[in-house]
Amino acid sequence: MKKLSLVFTFLAAMLFASAQDKTITGTVTNSAGKGIEGMNVILKGTRRGTVTRADGSFSIKANTGVLVISGVGYQQQEVSIDGQTSIDVTLKDASKELESVVVTALGITKESRKLGYAVTTVNGDQFNKARETNVALSLEGQVAGLNVHGTAGGPGATARILLRGMPSINSGGSPLFVVNGVPINNDNRGSAGEWGGSDNGDGIQNLNPDDIASMTVLKGQAASALYGARASNGVILITTKTGQKGAPLVQYNGNFVWDKPINLTDFQYVYGQGQNGVKPGTINEAQNTARLSWGAKMDGSQFTQFDGKQYAYSPYKNNLENFYRTAPTVTNTVSVSGGGDNGTYRLSLSNLDNKSIVRNSGLTRRTIDFNMTQKVIDKLSFTINANYLDQSDKNKSFLSDGPGNPNNGFFLASNINEDILKPGYDANGNEIVFSDDNYVTNPWFVVNKWVNNLDRKRLITSISPKYNFTPWLYVMARLGYDRINDRHLGVTPSGTNYEINNLGQSGDINLSTTQLTELNVDGIIGISHKLTSDINLDATLGGNIRKNQDETVGISGGPFVIPNLYTPGNVVNYGRSYGFHKKEVHSGYYSVDLSYKNFLTLNTTGRYDAYSTLYYSSIPTNKRDIFTPSVAAGLVFSQLVHIPSLDFGKLRLSYAQTSGEPGNPYQTATYYSVGSSINGTPTGSYSGTLPNLFLKPFTVTEWEVGTELKFLQGRLGFDIAYYDRKTKNEIMNGSLGWETGYSSYVVANGSVQNKGLEILVTGKPVVTRNFEWNISVNATSVSNKILQTDLNGNTLGLGTYRPLNANIAFVKGLAGPQIMANDYQYDSKGNIVVDASGLPLAAGARTPQGSVLPTFYGGVKNDFTYKDFNLSFLIDYNYGNKILSATKFYAVYRGLDKSTLPGRETGVSVTGVDGTGAPVTTNVSAQAYYQRLAAISKTDVLNGDFIKLRQVTLGYTIPEKAFSKVPVIGSIQLSLVARNLLIIMKKSDNIDPEAEFSAGVNYAGIEGTSLPTTRTFGINANIKFKN
Amino acid sequence: MKKILILFAVAASLVFSDCTKKFDSINTDPTQASAAQFNANLLLPTVETGYTGAIAGYGGAILYQSMWVQIFANPEYPGYYSNGDKYVNGGSYNSYLASPWNNTFSNAGRAYEIINLTKDNPDLSNLSGIALICELLHIELATDVYGDVPFSEALQAKTAGITTPVYDKQQDIYSSMLAKLDSVIPTLDAGKVKPTNDVIYAGDITKWKKFGYSLMLRMAMRLTKADAATAKTYVEKAYAGGTFASNDDNAFIVLDDAHGFSNGNATALGVAEDYTQVRWGKTLIDDLKAANDPRLPVIAEVPLDGKANAANKGLAGISTPAIQEGMPNGYDQNGGATNISNAPGYPGGTGTGNDFNIIGKYSRPTTALYLSRSCPEFILTYAETQLLLAEAAARGWSVGADAATHYKNGLSAALQSYGTFNPVGVISAATADAYAAAPANALDVSSMDASLKQINTQFWITTGTLFNFIEAWNNWRRSGYPVLTPVNYTGNFSNGTIPRRFIYPSSEPSNNGTNYSAAVSNLSGGDQYTSKMYWDK
Repeated sequence: MKKLSLVFTFLAAMLFASAQDKTITGTVTNSAGKGIEGMNVILKGTRRGTVTRADGSFSIKANTGVLVISGVGYQQQEVSIDGQTSIDVTLKDASKELESVVVTALGITKESRKLGYAVTTVNGDQFNKARETNVALSLEGQVAGLNVHGTAGGPGATARILLRGMPSINSGGSPLFVVNGVPINNDNRGSAGEWGGSDNGDGIQNLNPDDIASMTVLKGQAASALYGARASNGVILITTKTGQKGAPLVQYNGNFVWDKPINLTDFQYVYGQGQNGVKPGTINEAQNTARLSWGAKMDGSQFTQFDGKQYAYSPYKNNLENFYRTAPTVTNTVSVSGGGDNGTYRLSLSNLDNKSIVRNSGLTRRTIDFNMTQKVIDKLSFTINANYLDQSDKNKSFLSDGPGNPNNGFFLASNINEDILKPGYDANGNEIVFSDDNYVTNPWFVVNKWVNNLDRKRLITSISPKYNFTPWLYVMARLGYDRINDRHLGVTPSGTNYEINNLGQSGDINLSTTQLTELNVDGIIGISHKLTSDINLDATLGGNIRKNQDETVGISGGPFVIPNLYTPGNVVNYGRSYGFHKKEVHSGYYSVDLSYKNFLTLNTTGRYDAYSTLYYSSIPTNKRDIFTPSVAAGLVFSQLVHIPSLDFGKLRLSYAQTSGEPGNPYQTATYYSVGSSINGTPTGSYSGTLPNLFLKPFTVTEWEVGTELKFLQGRLGFDIAYYDRKTKNEIMNGSLGWETGYSSYVVANGSVQNKGLEILVTGKPVVTRNFEWNISVNATSVSNKILQTDLNGNTLGLGTYRPLNANIAFVKGLAGPQIMANDYQYDSKGNIVVDASGLPLAAGARTPQGSVLPTFYGGVKNDFTYKDFNLSFLIDYNYGNKILSATKFYAVYRGLDKSTLPGRETGVSVTGVDGTGAPVTTNVSAQAYYQRLAAISKTDVLNGDFIKLRQVTLGYTIPEKAFSKVPVIGSIQLSLVARNLLIIMKKSDNIDPEAEFSAGVNYAGIEGTSLPTTRTFGINANIKFKN
Repeated sequence: MKKILILFAVAASLVFSDCTKKFDSINTDPTQASAAQFNANLLLPTVETGYTGAIAGYGGAILYQSMWVQIFANPEYPGYYSNGDKYVNGGSYNSYLASPWNNTFSNAGRAYEIINLTKDNPDLSNLSGIALICELLHIELATDVYGDVPFSEALQAKTAGITTPVYDKQQDIYSSMLAKLDSVIPTLDAGKVKPTNDVIYAGDITKWKKFGYSLMLRMAMRLTKADAATAKTYVEKAYAGGTFASNDDNAFIVLDDAHGFSNGNATALGVAEDYTQVRWGKTLIDDLKAANDPRLPVIAEVPLDGKANAANKGLAGISTPAIQEGMPNGYDQNGGATNISNAPGYPGGTGTGNDFNIIGKYSRPTTALYLSRSCPEFILTYAETQLLLAEAAARGWSVGADAATHYKNGLSAALQSYGTFNPVGVISAATADAYAAAPANALDVSSMDASLKQINTQFWITTGTLFNFIEAWNNWRRSGYPVLTPVNYTGNFSNGTIPRRFIYPSSEPSNNGTNYSAAVSNLSGGDQYTSKMYWDK
């Protein structure tokens, strides 16, 4: 009953507490008592704020709450209003401002000065104005050591996030995401490969940027050691926005942006459709050459196209601009937040409506985020978080080289207007095939007919009671639950040409539902105690149980009995699928921090994990558990020695180990399965992956040394880290030839090393009364090396592209993953060997051509503030990686690439040697020559370096006084925003160096037939309503 | 306060106590069976259908061997059929080239797994014996396609931890396979438990014995040029053991498209662009026409006039023998010198304007006969064995009857095989026997060469039109008959000669590098399409 009345009071307070604002005035002075100009005075938890005048005075409308006073050169200070109407504040110099606090593992906040490892926090305003549909992409270029890479997969596509390089062979790379202390699922829902497929997004993109207060990146193993297994890729902690004590504050944020496709191709438009220099003469020839620009010089003459109509044989350049559209995205978010003496709350509702640049495609996302902290009795408080998501992805675009890809118009011959493929189907609804290959679906048929829909409903909840026994001892529990319900509907529509059987039937349907759950239960005891006047102890002891489960039920069938009725009942043949996985980890951990006189801190952690995925009971010596320790030390040496201009100097040193388990359960025993029945006779099989009965946990060990330096009252700062990390006994699938009876085997032998240097420089070059310039530069140099692969040290093949003449692979001794491609075939004297036709031959074996992951990358961020205006732009850069480009292959093979122009009419003279070493000079046709060059796959490897203008925002805060006589509206902030505005430098012709069709490490750096890159620009409006 | 401390202590002890005992059951896949639960019989149909997967469709021989030996032709260029029609890499050729390797070894591995799962159960000796025969069937295909392949150390990643098996010489593989067949066939015992999931013979042990000896015959005949003495020994042994006695013994599998077991050839030919482009080869149709072969109107039809009609699978073609035309290999539709209209004897196209079909007068495989996706696929037939025995007899080996008799039996049986695909293919026993018995169609015994030419040409027609293209190619390589004129298209991978083997899968250098390199060094000319293997002299 008492509880009930509490809840009621709480709700009532929410509803009715909206007392009138009053004007608070005051003066901000420095320690000498002099008024300071240009200090920010902000009502905490709101965007309401003002700036002090020349004499340090200010006035602000507020009723209750806390004022935050901050500014360059001074230490931030908070003052509770508490009914006062006049508040005077004295700020301390910034040189003494060293007490900033960061969130660390398990959600424990620590003073940053005490940390012995590198941590970087990115605030929400960096990603909730200029947005991506996947919020993780907004981290690109923002954090030293962090490399974020999207795919060319359309809205909501997956982000590949690598912290400190590729962390391990088998991990897939993504760091663990922890929302308010609760780990969440960030699995990729499916991605494209060489045979096509769509990028079905990841888990992190489900979050609404408006709800995120900050993201904290724990880079090293020492920072994340407390998370155990899944921290081996690093950890990103997400803190969502919370309410502040005070009357309910209602805010609205509207974000309106447009994606516009960019045509990066620079193809030849001299020679048109055809082969061997000949314009098509018949319908057949036209159809066979719709994607071959090896014809005659375009002369504007009329010719018969594959559709039987006459067209001019003239260049056509605007297919990309015409086929794709400028696509709007609208995000509306409303939130209410507030709090009283015993708790705070925040509730937000958001609706994102996105249209893809591909017609008939896009995504909608509705989220509800609620959190509340409430004191129940004096020492007991609860925090509750609930985030509900309902997301629908309509017609996720297929990518790469398979049927159903709307991007197939990319390699149309240089004279074809893609509009002539419209609407893609004939009067009977059957696909109009435009080329020699009916697996290359008519793009208009795709956008008008194909279905590839994904729906997700997700609830991330947590509840954590905390009991403070004494000011220095607390107990808390945390129960976190992430439940995902996914549904996928894929339809190959009726009339799809390659599927039409001899009865005229076609089409198929694939419908599946998946439930993913993750449960985390933690119990933690925490102590913070002064042992002596100089020595402070912070200790945490805890335990965790984690349970993961997934279950997929699928039904499929085809062809359709009644055309165009897409339901699983309407099929001739049925199929079904079922998948189930479950795993559990039990862990215990501790963390002990000892600090001496606030300048020396020693932190040690230990974690014990027992994994259900390991241990095979027939082998009693096997181990499923492991203990891993970490030690870190931080020394604020500026407190010991005085160095001129140096305000703050810290040295960090850490050593840490973490452990890990296989990605999937059930890899320690052989299983046999039952397949379909053939004419009523059941069949059986077993996995082509040989299980391993001897698996143990793998380990990651890392050393890190770093320093933080601040000069000139904080106007210049450095944060530098160097680390050396190795994995050992990595569990992975080694590749086998089928002659062994298996195509792969689970092996625990992998080892990878990453060494890297991370530098962050921050500066405030200009600070004047009205103008301030902040700059931050980060740079990362990372060196990866595959130390060991499988038992034989074999090269482990990864993904490939559809030409199938090259692939990426882990090669022992080299950085991973390497592009493996064929060079020319040379004789012993270095001459190119040619075949009987005079065409160059490709070398028999593929050789490493460089890694697909960058070795040097980072960003430069500039913020300019002038009065109420703010201009911010981010440039990021990326060096040292290679791209395996299907676009290059096809552009050359299909005669679109400008490099194929020489010799079109005269033939190409090739000089080489024949098989016996005798010199040969032959004149070969340009088409034969360049098509052979494309097949020598080394020529399809491009340089991935780039510099991009990633993000620009121009903001204007309408001064509050402008609304003093306006009802309802308290303040408005407007921003013009843009993402991916400009590619300042790139070395890869015809493509965006970031265009990949899969975000997975196993397909990194492979590009082709995907969505064009887009430029995004728009407006963000934030309105705070008067309370 | 105390209560909370106690609660916490309980919670903590729960965390740390060894509730990891349940981990073994958590880590047991509930969707699959353990070895103890499993019934090894279930693997047999997988192994059996795996063989049809290995010889049919895009994963099998239709893109390569069917056109290398000129059973089919396809003028599309570029395209995936250029591998076969023009010896020019096309489509996903690296993947196609690895398919026979992956299909044969994966299924040989499953057969080997049956043997391991049943080794402690003498009651299942028939299942085990049949599994070994199936394993050898797959291995034979692998070595016939690639040459030297792993065998003695193959398939043992699980049982012996061998992840990089050595490549054995083809000579050793053949002698080992023949010896294994010789020892395993007699262990088949009709009095013991039958295999329960056999989709070839429904567990009929007598038929399996005949299959075993027929396979032995085929393997032995492969060695006629490389090692005639061994060939003779095993041919005579096989004959004495008892090879197929009639078409009732034919080994084939009826597929079941509704449940995911599609006929690979029918599926491939049913793809729209295959359907409109794949045509019977000129040499084949000319031979059948010249011989007034009753099969011609059964297997071939000329599509109705025009492009649209030819693409419509619902419209039957015209099967009148006189108008059947085979298409020559090595031509395209690209308007240049190799345009199909420039081929000698080009019969012209059909249709007009937008509907013009440049290849409209060439014969295609009869839709009604071949294109059902549940259509059977042949593995080994009585007709083949009789033709092999005819050659053995012509060579003077002791195989019961003389060459002419075996040849006549083979020819008649061949004619009567098409009804297995579909009733429209039935040629009556009377018609077949009469045709085979006609003096004009009797075996030419004027010389051994004349006999071999006729027998092996007939073998090529029979296996080719029964869609066992690999076997047509194998026997052509071995016998040299029929004499085929290779095509020489620009950019071809075999110097204008008909390829003699598949190159090894592109993944082998990394999967099994040392052994791969050793095998390549043993090939005359290296890992090329033109390198000849042991039995291919």
